[in-house]
Amino acid sequence: MNGFRSLQLGIRSLLHRDQVEEELDEELRFHLDMETAKLLKRGLSPAAARREALRTFGGVEKTKEQCRELRVTRWLEDLVRDVRYGARTLLRSPGFSAVVVLTLGLGIGANTAIFSVVHGVLLQPLPYAEGDRLVHLLQQAPKAGLEDIGVSPLEKADYATARSFSAVAEHHTMWFNLLDRGEPERVQTGVVSADFFKVMGIRPLLGRTFAAEDDKPGAEPVLVLSYAYWQRSHGGDPTILGRKFEMNDKTHTVVGVLPPVTTYPEDDAIYMPTSACPFRSSPHASTERRMRMTSVVARLAPGASLERARAEASAIARQMQAAHPEAYPADRGHDATLTPLQEEITSDARPTLLILLGTVGLVLLIVCANVANLTLARQLGRERELAVRGALGASRGRLIRQLLTESTLLALAGGALGLLLGAGALRLLMAFAARFTPRAGEIAIDGTVLLFTLLVALATGIASGSLPAFLRQELSAVMKEGGERVSTGAGGLRLRNLLIVAQLALSFLLLIGAGLMLRSLWSLHRVDPGFQPESVLTAGLDLDWSKYPEGPQGRVVQDKMLARVQALPGVAAAALASTFPLDDSEPVSRALRIEGRTSPEGQPTPRIDLRVASPDYFRVLGVPVLRGRVFVEQDGPDAPGVALVNRTTARRFWGEQDPVGQRITFDNGESWITVVGVVGDVRQYGLDRDAADEVYLPIRQFPLLSTRLVVRSAVPPASLERSLRKAVREVDPEQPLYDVQTLEQARSDSLAPSRLTALLLGLFAVLALVITATGIAGLLAFSVSQRTHEIGIRMALGAARDDVLWMVLRQGALLLAAGLGLGLLGALALNRVMAGLLYGIEPTDPVTYVGVSLMLLAVAALACWMPARRATGIHPMLALRKV
Amino acid sequence: MTTQGKSDLLQGTLDLLILKTLATGPNHGWGIAQRIQQISQDVLQVNQGSLYPALQRLEQQGRIASEWGTSENNRKAKFYRLTSAGERQLDAETESWERISAAVARILRTA
Repeated sequence: MNGFRSLQLGIRSLLHRDQVEEELDEELRFHLDMETAKLLKRGLSPAAARREALRTFGGVEKTKEQCRELRVTRWLEDLVRDVRYGARTLLRSPGFSAVVVLTLGLGIGANTAIFSVVHGVLLQPLPYAEGDRLVHLLQQAPKAGLEDIGVSPLEKADYATARSFSAVAEHHTMWFNLLDRGEPERVQTGVVSADFFKVMGIRPLLGRTFAAEDDKPGAEPVLVLSYAYWQRSHGGDPTILGRKFEMNDKTHTVVGVLPPVTTYPEDDAIYMPTSACPFRSSPHASTERRMRMTSVVARLAPGASLERARAEASAIARQMQAAHPEAYPADRGHDATLTPLQEEITSDARPTLLILLGTVGLVLLIVCANVANLTLARQLGRERELAVRGALGASRGRLIRQLLTESTLLALAGGALGLLLGAGALRLLMAFAARFTPRAGEIAIDGTVLLFTLLVALATGIASGSLPAFLRQELSAVMKEGGERVSTGAGGLRLRNLLIVAQLALSFLLLIGAGLMLRSLWSLHRVDPGFQPESVLTAGLDLDWSKYPEGPQGRVVQDKMLARVQALPGVAAAALASTFPLDDSEPVSRALRIEGRTSPEGQPTPRIDLRVASPDYFRVLGVPVLRGRVFVEQDGPDAPGVALVNRTTARRFWGEQDPVGQRITFDNGESWITVVGVVGDVRQYGLDRDAADEVYLPIRQFPLLSTRLVVRSAVPPASLERSLRKAVREVDPEQPLYDVQTLEQARSDSLAPSRLTALLLGLFAVLALVITATGIAGLLAFSVSQRTHEIGIRMALGAARDDVLWMVLRQGALLLAAGLGLGLLGALALNRVMAGLLYGIEPTDPVTYVGVSLMLLAVAALACWMPARRATGIHPMLALRKV
Repeated sequence: MTTQGKSDLLQGTLDLLILKTLATGPNHGWGIAQRIQQISQDVLQVNQGSLYPALQRLEQQGRIASEWGTSENNRKAKFYRLTSAGERQLDAETESWERISAAVARILRTA
């Protein structure tokens, strides 16, 4: 009854506010008239009667306000009024509002942008049905230190018997040449078991995925296209189903198109069932346990825990080893582990993204402190307005709410601006995230990100508004005593100083983070990669496996192609090799034995990375020859086997001895190879990774079909691309050349993650620094204007300009010292989190610390100098008269 | 809502006096104020203004109801009357008031 009655009255007061107000007026007027009439009867004059009536009543407006506050829907009415009033007030000081909205927009925008990445990559569930139940099964040879040796089809069948898995699918990537589209095209092809898409939980966008019949030997070859390839190469043609593709020696029919989901495990353009892959469907692949060419994805059975599945997979691996000892050398060991897909796909991005998230969080704190400071300064100027409202009956709560409404309005405007900035930065951030994770395509500003932005904006509004709003009480006490002039009051000034110190400390932290990243980037730049990337063009040149099944045929074609390329004008030297530095290739390693040495019992045989190269490879790349000779044309198939080792290998296995002339074997002594030279170390796998143990073998003795063409050019390397393609096609018109890029580009790409992270951290740190500097300048300027009178007196009493200057600067210097001190402590406590991202420097790098301190000092000094200069310009007489 | 918490002695007393006044029949705000002043023989000098928030609060609590009517001097005035919930409240509060004042009186006598 009560609730209902209040609600009724509430709704009435909301819908008919004017009427309710009128009635209240009318009621009070009636009261006063009656009272006046009573007093008139007692003989008072009309004016005196009216006055007396008002006196006994005690404040008409106050009473009205008290009545209004009792209304149930009061908060809503107030909100509407506060918002209107707030908006008007803010528009009246456009400078202040613009600065605050811009600052907040930058802070919130940075958070929106980074959160959208964190959400898209780390927080969102994988885009596969029940993606959290998917695991990647990896086999290891732990004693040989091999993390991932692949899985053979026979082994996969063994793991499929595990009760913890509801299904097990296989995948491997092949590059095939697609022939029927004018220029031959090389497409990345996922070769998958028929149930692969079912296991992954991916439904086709068009047509179907593979069925069990597609995987039977002799089945009609079929293809499924990835969404990206369908869009890229066929413009999203809806009639694509049934299209024939000529690949290898077969005609394939397109039966389906995948939706736009993150592709796993590789970014394949098209997919074919295992029966259609000439390599995988060879009898050898399904009968030889050591044909470990695939990677395996399993779906955990309902109710099966990850721990149980891990134990089971490991047990199956041990059983395999016991049953087939010939396939699992005891000195290498054998085991299987499971990695949840979610973890595998996002683990590279996680540290960087979390650091960025922390960084923008700190930027937002700085922004809040700065806005709080600005608001506080502005509020002091409004003290009279607020005091008048208080006297007219607004309670303290009402005034605080009014102030909070204003700061929230500003924050929401800032949030809207931030959203625009975040959306603008989205494309750049996706390109950034793509360096770390395949999930970059999932980054978007969606409902969750919008909600996040809204919440951040509201929290920012409340955080930056509440300090000044609550501080007001103290100030109004000052106001009551102080009369004319409002001083900052001890509390206000202390708070403002604290805010500035906090901003300085946080800026210092951010600058240290950015500084460390920049220094790390610098050391990466200066690292000697072991080769000269300038003027080198690289390209992939894979001969068609089904076209040149025999070694000699392929070798003849490769020789012809290389000869044509070398003869091109502008080409200084050219070579074919299995890899080139920084080409993202996976290491291929073999167990190494040196003649006359036996590895100690129980110790794993050392392993070494193999590279295959033609004679000019070292000349093209500028890799120095330290001892002996490089390959020559005479190192052919019938000549004695020769090899080169890199410096690291020479040191590790031969120490001070000369390896030239020593013999090594990779097949346990069946064939011996003589080391004929030592070449310099090359950073093959990344500028931040030391050279591995490497051995080079001549391509004529170790033929391979998938090669990299490297060309040192006398002209700008990129201009050679056309003539290179032409030279290759003159030998085989169906031969594509792919991934044509300069080695400089590859080097730059390998620096990109560091460069982009440094750029983002640097950007945020500069933002923080600028905001903080304006904050210091603002605070000091304000404090000078508050002390005009005092400064005037001092100058009148003979203080020199320098004294005034120093007086102001001293205030700034104290703040700066406190901020730097706190920031230094914070940085020393937190810098460990950066350790994983740094190369070549410690997280306590003194250069960074000194550099950042000097930079902050310089900027802050400049920020202090300007208001201090202004203080010295105060004219004593004017200052004194002004009061 | 926020005022619920601060029902101190004075406010409780004022509520009781309003209810008691209205027990004799519907009345408008000014009338209630005059009546309270008469009865208390000017001992309780309340700001007349503070009567109105109290009236509004009691109305929201459903203890009194209001309607517009015509006053003795033929003017439009808002009349308040006691509801049945208000009567019950008055009985309960009168009783508790008497108990307390009796207790206080006893203490004052014996102390």
